[in-house]
Amino acid sequence: MTSSPVDPLILERSRRRIFLALFTALAVALHTLEALLPSPAPWFRFGFANIFTVTALFLYGAGAAWGVMLGRVAVGSLVLGNLFSPGFLLSLSGGVFATALMTISRALFGVRIGPVGVSVLGAAGHATGQIFVAWLVLVRHDGLWRLFPFFLLVSLVTGVLNGWGADALTGMLRRHRAFSERLRKDEG
Amino acid sequence: MKRAIILLLALVIVAAVAGVRLRGSAEAEPVFSSRILMGTVVEITAFGADRRATTEAVRAAFDEMARIEALMGPGEESETVRISRASDFSEVSPETAEVLSLGLEVSERSHGAFDLTLGLLKDLWGIESGSPRIPSDEEILKALEGTGPQALSLEGTTVVKKSPGLGVDLGGIAKGYAVDKAAEVLLNAGIESAAINAGGDMRLLGARPDRLWRIGIQDPRKADAILGTLELQDIAVVTSGDYERAFEHDGVRYHHLFDPRTGHPARNARSVTVIAPSAVLADALATALFVLGPEEGLALLAHYPEAEALVVGGDGEMHLTEGLKRKAIWP
Amino acid sequence: MALRDLLSRTTLLDRVIVLVLFAAALAGAAWAAVAPGGERLVAESGGKIVFTAPLGADLTFTLPGPLGETVVALRGGVARILDSPCTHKVCIGMGGVSRAGEITACVPNRLLLRVEGGRGQEAEYDLLTR
Repeated sequence: MTSSPVDPLILERSRRRIFLALFTALAVALHTLEALLPSPAPWFRFGFANIFTVTALFLYGAGAAWGVMLGRVAVGSLVLGNLFSPGFLLSLSGGVFATALMTISRALFGVRIGPVGVSVLGAAGHATGQIFVAWLVLVRHDGLWRLFPFFLLVSLVTGVLNGWGADALTGMLRRHRAFSERLRKDEG
Repeated sequence: MKRAIILLLALVIVAAVAGVRLRGSAEAEPVFSSRILMGTVVEITAFGADRRATTEAVRAAFDEMARIEALMGPGEESETVRISRASDFSEVSPETAEVLSLGLEVSERSHGAFDLTLGLLKDLWGIESGSPRIPSDEEILKALEGTGPQALSLEGTTVVKKSPGLGVDLGGIAKGYAVDKAAEVLLNAGIESAAINAGGDMRLLGARPDRLWRIGIQDPRKADAILGTLELQDIAVVTSGDYERAFEHDGVRYHHLFDPRTGHPARNARSVTVIAPSAVLADALATALFVLGPEEGLALLAHYPEAEALVVGGDGEMHLTEGLKRKAIWP
Repeated sequence: MALRDLLSRTTLLDRVIVLVLFAAALAGAAWAAVAPGGERLVAESGGKIVFTAPLGADLTFTLPGPLGETVVALRGGVARILDSPCTHKVCIGMGGVSRAGEITACVPNRLLLRVEGGRGQEAEYDLLTR
């Protein structure tokens, strides 16, 4: 790499943009891949894409998490061709609930909550948001809520797995030069 | 490490492809949907490999029925209303011409027992309106003036009325035709197993995935009972009964199936169930057989070897064709 | 190994959150399994579900349609239309619906009442011709 004297603040901003773009792109890829994967039940999703929302939240804060989530839902549904369809609406409402819960819990608990806790809350929020909006606009059927405990159980498992993945990813990135430099500066 | 990742990716891709194929071939729950159309509740049950595509096809089938309703129903813009108001010639769509042509054929073969020109008589009795009444004999004679199988003729898509005041009513058979058109939409969408039920006018596509369709026949006198069931596939079933739309006066029931010879509700039958390859034909025949009664009615079927019927006579006795006996299960 | 790795990556609060949600989900699942399922009355207007209630409920409600309000009573497991702003009143004469798959409707007011659910008792027939 050619090194030229660059304002470290500008450099940091560009890095942030590049990483968030990368996160969003990877989230879109996972989102799309999951839609193609065989699913044991039509409503079952691993929600791997949430790994990147969690990572963005821990590395860059709430605004970044919202950006990655919204970008993923918008671009992902363009790729799947279901923009503004019921499927899109469910993705969006699930994503909004999830990200709201995650950013709020992070703001409330700070360092006391880790990626696993945040991710589990996000997965639970995702399930709640989806089922609530499905009930609101798609099927006004109270029977839907009977499924909720099972959604919640599944979301717990996927939430823990994704949180684990997000923690590993965060750790890996923090050790990366792009971050360690910044950390050193922060410390110094 | 790199190798492991490549292997994992390959596995994921294989799984995705397999999953898509599995999902396509899964034994599907039927798509069930109902809408209010043609003055009745229309229910469609469709089995299809792809749920989304099947749902889309069912919606298209409903839309097609709505189109036929606009064309032949009682609405102000409909072609039947236009024919009734015209004094002699009127040009109609190929669809309306098709229905008229079949209706006129049944009308002729049944010697007018099935009649498309009873519009004025139906308005007079007002059974399907809010205020039904029993008209006087003079009024009935006047409403029957100029009606009959010869009162209307069709040249291509031009309808010719012999007398200007004639009121044309496609009521019953337009419903059958709409059901047939909906079935066509489903067939064209690749659906091989479906049932369309428009308030008892039904058309079956194929059989259910597991067995034949079982169709219960309403008991004309006991609302909660059935006469028996028919095991059928790929056919239309239509029942005309005196219990459907009726009013009562001094203990006598007046219903919506008129005998064109008397101008009064027909009394020779309580209900008629016809099975035929198309719902529009079954519809016309069910009305004709209802007016003719068991003996003459079943004799008319000699012209239609592809149709079978069950007639419950005015006395409650059941008469049915040989072919139907083999398909029926009695309780 | 994996478990220990996972635990080392969680804070105390993380574990509490997981346990609390797990308990909530289990309690919910137990409730869903015990609560009476069975048949429900579903009302549709223009292809959309506008009202639903367990068939066992005891209530009277009104549903809006293009002509006005249709009054429906649900009592003793039977739903029937009590009043409707249509000219014909056929729906009122149609009687009640109580078995899964049964339908009653006020056609002029574009309302449809249907009984759904109930556990797989095989009906005598798929469709009724009448």
